[in-house]
Amino acid sequence: MLNEEKYTDADKWLVDALKSEPNFILSENFADRMAEKMSRKFAWSQYLREFAIYAGVILGVVAVLAAVHIFLAGADWKSWAKFVTENLVIVIATASLLFFVLFTDRVLLRYFLHRSKIDSI
Amino acid sequence: MTDAELVQQILNGNSNAFRFLVAKHQRLVLHVVGRIVQRQEDIEDICQEVFMKVYSKIGKFRGEAKLSTWIARIAYNTSISHLRKEDRDELSYDERPALVAGETDESTHRQPMETDEVKKYLMLKIEELPVQYRTVLTLFHLEEFSYREIEEITGMPEGTIKSYLSRARKILKEKLEKVAKIEKTNIFTEYA
Repeated sequence: MLNEEKYTDADKWLVDALKSEPNFILSENFADRMAEKMSRKFAWSQYLREFAIYAGVILGVVAVLAAVHIFLAGADWKSWAKFVTENLVIVIATASLLFFVLFTDRVLLRYFLHRSKIDSI
Repeated sequence: MTDAELVQQILNGNSNAFRFLVAKHQRLVLHVVGRIVQRQEDIEDICQEVFMKVYSKIGKFRGEAKLSTWIARIAYNTSISHLRKEDRDELSYDERPALVAGETDESTHRQPMETDEVKKYLMLKIEELPVQYRTVLTLFHLEEFSYREIEEITGMPEGTIKSYLSRARKILKEKLEKVAKIEKTNIFTEYA
């Protein structure tokens, strides 16, 4: 009888300990900091997506114009290709500069503005 | 707000919805991560990693399981990966830990224990259990997940979960009884 009582009490102790909160802690503003991180990540991916759309549209327009020029207006594509290969460095540098300006305008500046806005709150 | 609505709000970039999700589930993640990793200095970083994974993968949440189960699975997998990276030998644990196999428990108190001390002693012993035992105990008793949900979270078969739970409780009970014998006082009567 005493043994049975003892085991019942042991079970109670056990359940009590198992249901008790362990001594681990997170900082008080953990949820706020996670929300900020999420907001920054969302903004970054959103701006990158917009940049990709802009870049795609610009490349598409250039491709359509080139196609119209060559196939419909009957321009000599070989002379165009020759111009590009002869001025490859300038063409690549100009294209890179344009995309960098677009990237800075559409992604970097907006992202840093967004960050400073969050930080100031 | 249902889980599906909350997920949709987060996908739309609503940071308040994500704050709500974190506040609602941070206790669960803390318990899972804490019980597996056990190092306070690592816990916050891993919890952050868990929630950033939750955010990155939330578009893949189909609502087949409860959101809490899905988050707990991410927390479990992240913590286990962390243990593997740290190369702690806990993951290749002995099915019968040394203390169960009859070795002397050095930490057993020689002084008479107060009621609170018994609870603290048991909590300490929970932390000394093998990682799988601690995990199933936490998920079952503290978070009140069902066997099926624990299976979804950990990937362990239901039979293994039941076996781990039963063995873990047996180990703890044996330790409690050992303390009672050593002290030669009936600590159990103080509980009532």
